[in-house]
Amino acid sequence: MMKKFLGRALRVLLSAMLLSLTACHGSKGLDPFSVPESFDESKHYEITFWAKNDTNMTQANIYRQAIEDFEKLYPNITVNMRIYTDYGRIYNDVITNISTRTTPNVCITYPDHIATYLTGANTVVPLDELMADSRFGLNGTELKYEPAGAIVPKFIDECRLGDTAYAIPYMRSTEACYVNKTLVEKLGYTLPDKLTWDFVYEVSEKAMEKDADGNFKVNGQKVMIPFIYKSTDNMMIQMLKQKNAGYSDTDGNILLFNDDTRSILETTYDAAKIGAFSTFKISSYPGNFLNAGQCIFAIDSTAGATWMGPHATNHDIAEDKIIDFDMVVTTIPQFDTEHPVMISQGPSICVFNKADPDEVLASWLFAQYLITPEIQTAYASTEGYVPVTEKALNLPSYIDYLSKEGIDEDLHYAPKLQASKLLTANINNTFITPVFNGSASLRDAAGQLIESVTKSARRNEKVDDAYYEKLYKDTASLYHLDSGMKVSTGEMKKQEFGPLPTTSKVLLGLIILTWVAIGGTYLYGFIKKRYGKNNNK
Amino acid sequence: MADLTYTELQRIEKRAKVSGTVGKTVTYFLLTLWGLIVLFPFYWMLLTSIKSYSSYNSEYVPKFIATHPTTQNYVDAFTTVNLGRYFFNTVVFTVLTTAVMMVVTVLAAFAFSRLKFRGKSITFAIFLSLMMIPNELVVITNYVTITNWNMRNTFQGLILPSVASVFYIYLLKENFEQIPEELYKAAKVDGTSDLKYLLKVMIPISKPTIITILILKVIECWNSYVWPRLVTDNEAYYLVSNGIQEIRENGFGRENIPAMMAAVVVISVPLVVLFLIFHKKIMEGVSRGGTKG
Amino acid sequence: MKKLSSLKGWLYLLPAILFLGFFMVYPLIDVVMYSFEEGYNFASQSHFGYGLYNFKYVLHDPYFLQAVKNTFIIVIITVPLSTGIALLISLGLNSIKPLKELYQTVYFLPYVTNTLAVGLVFMILFKKTAYSEGLINLLLNSLGMSSVDFIDGPYWAKIFVMCFYTIWVVMPFKILILTSALAGVKKDYYNAARVDGTSKFRIFYKITLPMISPMIFYLVITGFIGAFKAYADEVAIFGTNLNAAGMNTIVGYVYDMLYGNSGGYPSYASAASLILFAIVFTITVINLLISKKNVQY
Repeated sequence: MMKKFLGRALRVLLSAMLLSLTACHGSKGLDPFSVPESFDESKHYEITFWAKNDTNMTQANIYRQAIEDFEKLYPNITVNMRIYTDYGRIYNDVITNISTRTTPNVCITYPDHIATYLTGANTVVPLDELMADSRFGLNGTELKYEPAGAIVPKFIDECRLGDTAYAIPYMRSTEACYVNKTLVEKLGYTLPDKLTWDFVYEVSEKAMEKDADGNFKVNGQKVMIPFIYKSTDNMMIQMLKQKNAGYSDTDGNILLFNDDTRSILETTYDAAKIGAFSTFKISSYPGNFLNAGQCIFAIDSTAGATWMGPHATNHDIAEDKIIDFDMVVTTIPQFDTEHPVMISQGPSICVFNKADPDEVLASWLFAQYLITPEIQTAYASTEGYVPVTEKALNLPSYIDYLSKEGIDEDLHYAPKLQASKLLTANINNTFITPVFNGSASLRDAAGQLIESVTKSARRNEKVDDAYYEKLYKDTASLYHLDSGMKVSTGEMKKQEFGPLPTTSKVLLGLIILTWVAIGGTYLYGFIKKRYGKNNNK
Repeated sequence: MADLTYTELQRIEKRAKVSGTVGKTVTYFLLTLWGLIVLFPFYWMLLTSIKSYSSYNSEYVPKFIATHPTTQNYVDAFTTVNLGRYFFNTVVFTVLTTAVMMVVTVLAAFAFSRLKFRGKSITFAIFLSLMMIPNELVVITNYVTITNWNMRNTFQGLILPSVASVFYIYLLKENFEQIPEELYKAAKVDGTSDLKYLLKVMIPISKPTIITILILKVIECWNSYVWPRLVTDNEAYYLVSNGIQEIRENGFGRENIPAMMAAVVVISVPLVVLFLIFHKKIMEGVSRGGTKG
Repeated sequence: MKKLSSLKGWLYLLPAILFLGFFMVYPLIDVVMYSFEEGYNFASQSHFGYGLYNFKYVLHDPYFLQAVKNTFIIVIITVPLSTGIALLISLGLNSIKPLKELYQTVYFLPYVTNTLAVGLVFMILFKKTAYSEGLINLLLNSLGMSSVDFIDGPYWAKIFVMCFYTIWVVMPFKILILTSALAGVKKDYYNAARVDGTSKFRIFYKITLPMISPMIFYLVITGFIGAFKAYADEVAIFGTNLNAAGMNTIVGYVYDMLYGNSGGYPSYASAASLILFAIVFTITVINLLISKKNVQY
């Protein structure tokens, strides 16, 4: 009796295991989403929201407040939030959760990342239909809150993959150069209205002069890194765009590894070699150096403005290290100041597909709630962000906020407001890079090139044609840029390999040899034993 | 003759003593040196944790003592990050995992060492071969399994995959086998049931080994990182190890190393205190675990 | 009766079998499946066929090769070095009486601390920033040597830090095992040898070493396996982007292929982990063969 039961239990266990194995990997995916006839308010929905904040408690609190208010409006929806400080982590976690069908409902992310999420069938909800919906859309009549209204066309275009919008923008920012004007003038230069790369490098080089004690002449300190860039991927992308050089095309062809890139890297190398240039990854936050009078040109996101300047709202370094100076917030350096070009960036919101269309609709209601004017302006004023809807931009309270530049050093901190205005004034000069599956990796690769070259310069490594060739090859391989993913066909292609590299040959050879040797000794021992036995007979 | 031997002996002894003293000094010096290498990181950890943020950042040449010690970092460690919660979770996780593991291990070790059944040796061989498998290999699938069972962000999800451990079964089985078979036979004659015999005789006799396993498992649980990081994305279920990483990434504003060090100290303290109290038992235990493996 | 007892055996084993079956055996089979599903990734949930493509991919990936190289260097440097130093320290410990327990306790301390946490301290000690050269560099400077960027600098410097930390981490266990092994060598042998007037070195070589050789072999085997699985220590020192730092290990490569910035590829991760398994398995078998032949019990 007992045995029967046990035997059966074991059999069930084994067959369960086998069954799950024969099912293989990969799931069929979900059915495409279509807007339901009505929203069933009697059902309870629990939705997950993955958010990103910049180590900024005010931002987290705005999310919390928004969720609280939203749950009051829709008592049948509960929103669970998880806060990340790193977009990369969100991306990794989403990818892992696609395979287990446990994606969040609403997620703050980059369009680059959405392109990868989309390779699964119907993972992300296309939003055009929802935005235009007369009941639940951007001007919906059945919403329980004031509709968000139209999104700035340029911003929503950035969320399109092909012709379909898979996200709505949440906040927009660009990059700004935060300049220590006092030190520029001390070096005998006048800060021009519009910065050029040549000017930045020239001043930086000049700043490296030291006095007899080994202190830098310009600031009298032991530390001076005149030019620090926060996001080197943006640096490479913007410089290439300004030069009209290749980076990628909309078909997902990778054009990054070209001669213009090389010339940018060479300039970077020269500056890094004398210590005039460094990056965040190598040296830490540009703002820290800038505020301590140890940096002249700090390039960081406009969304980092509250960390910049002698009176910054947030700072990392000790109070007594902060030096008083005149700070100017200006556009990033250009090659052609007549036609300035800068990147548009910032978080977007995407909605993930679920089996229950009502759940998706609930997610959409929440996602949309995040771009209503009140939340938009509240969040935008925590940093040098810009709201994404026309309504929010024209909200009297927001216009009033922008006009009070510098009346205090907290909410109206001048550099923060200047940073926001930098973007509103330049909306038509911004660009984004083509989005496709793999574009996130390409972006990482672009930054890695600058990081690698800067490190090599600091180590006094020799750079020649062979160096760049190897750098290109290694970087391409690190980010799987050679794995042959093609967006135009939506399919991945197998890669053709050459002969095995030596290390692999050695590795495999060693393993095989060892087993041959082990087999040999075993056989030898066996024969000897037998032979010996026979002899004894 | 006897005199000569005596003085000779004295001289030899004296020489041996001198070279012995030199040798001893060198030995002590080297041992102390290694001791310093071991202790220094701990000292640095403590020291940095009581330096204030600004004084830490303004030291070009790091100071070996804190001129203005502060406890602010420790206050931050508990208020900014939910360290108390992480602690509680880790204790629950450690206690439950170890308890379930112990039951499973004792039963399996008993079966392998005392019971006779068909397929025993082949099963044992399979068990042993599982010892070779690196944990990293199985993590992916376990993640999918736990998600399918809807156990993410639960203690079950944290605990279940962490329970099985072939090494401890092996260790305990070896120990059980050293208990004389006669005892078992006598018990059988007396009509004692297997389970009773296991509880009343085998476990008490093997207490040292069981304590060893307990200690090793507790250390393992306290420090486990990869699995908890994967299956928990809700702060309410974080363990201290996730806590460290959380703190590193977004705990105290940007790059606040002293606060980080304070958190690291707080996280390390429970095990270190336990160790200092039970150091003899623990070292005995680990050494027994090591030599048997 | 016999059947019943057979049943009982399985019943006692059942919990262990269930746990191992679900969380070890089944995943293992799964990993093998993954490794033959060519180019499978989490995002698209699809693969282009069955075959050896994943293995080919991994063996051609320069980052895997870098990881293999790093891992072998860690193994070759740290295993003999740490075992050797541990033996010396244990001999020293065994030759003294006063303070012996204190030393032993101190030496064991790293065993009970979180390697991620202490790794952070090592990183701070070795790191050269714009603000400080780092303590170790200041020490070097005071000895008249020039500073080295140990964390971001030349390959040998990074390898040095990595090996140093690895040794620091594995030492407690080795010292403990060897000290107790040495204490177990019967005093009678020594006394007999001393009467014979044998030199100290000869005693060590002829008596002590053979007596503790099983333990040394044991430490070498576990050391090999442990070093081949190195990962957490590297993360603690060089951060999570080990590929870019050029300091990845095989396990790190597996992990990055799964969850890193370039992750989401269980197919390549599985292929790499099976290669790792082949290496570790081979080395264990060799070790077992050698120890069967040479170790005197």
